[in-house]
Amino acid sequence: MLILTRKPGESLYLGDNIKLKILSVQGKQIKIGLDVPDDMTVYREEVYQKIKEQNRKALESSQQDLLAAATLWHENENK
Amino acid sequence: MARERKQVIKTRLGDREIDPSGIIYFPRGLIGLEDKREYVLLQVRDDSPFLLLQCVTDPGLGLLVADPYVFVKDYNIKLETPEKKILKLDNLRQLAVLVTVTIPQDKPEDTTLNLSGPILVNTEAKIGLQAPQVDSKYPTWYRLSDRKG
Repeated sequence: MLILTRKPGESLYLGDNIKLKILSVQGKQIKIGLDVPDDMTVYREEVYQKIKEQNRKALESSQQDLLAAATLWHENENK
Repeated sequence: MARERKQVIKTRLGDREIDPSGIIYFPRGLIGLEDKREYVLLQVRDDSPFLLLQCVTDPGLGLLVADPYVFVKDYNIKLETPEKKILKLDNLRQLAVLVTVTIPQDKPEDTTLNLSGPILVNTEAKIGLQAPQVDSKYPTWYRLSDRKG
């Protein structure tokens, strides 16, 4: 991993079109400003990891459980 | 047209006939499954709100998904500009929302909906994207049996 030291107000460029600016440091919190291309998505890592885990779980259910759940939860039940 | 011919693919629910025009392209794949791009939605049962989001090229890769609005009436997702751009979305009416479902082994009554990472589909352009809800008040594990009448 590349490690760099920056002061508040200083920036970094990742490639030509991603700018990352350190806005402020307050105790344990660092405020970061991002200028990224408008088709680039930015997500917090913990959110990303959580969804990865959800996807894995959605893949796991056995066919038997899947059909059992389908029987238990009917579409018309809530109408 | 010849290109519209039905095609049989192997799925987690056995062999299924699909219409190639129903294939949804995920330019970014799904989170953690970035290299798989083509999926179809298959009905699990006629009267079930659950669907299988089945990868066309990988028979073992099929995620259980559901229409969240059957269970959560006030589910509002937030979509950022980059996400709209990837989905080539110009009208919200083109948008279908799905969420992944977790069924604990042998405990279908404890089924949960994962509301923090909805899978969005532009139904006209057949483009899909999983969009994490960054500042969402929605839980990752929403138990169906806990929902309000």
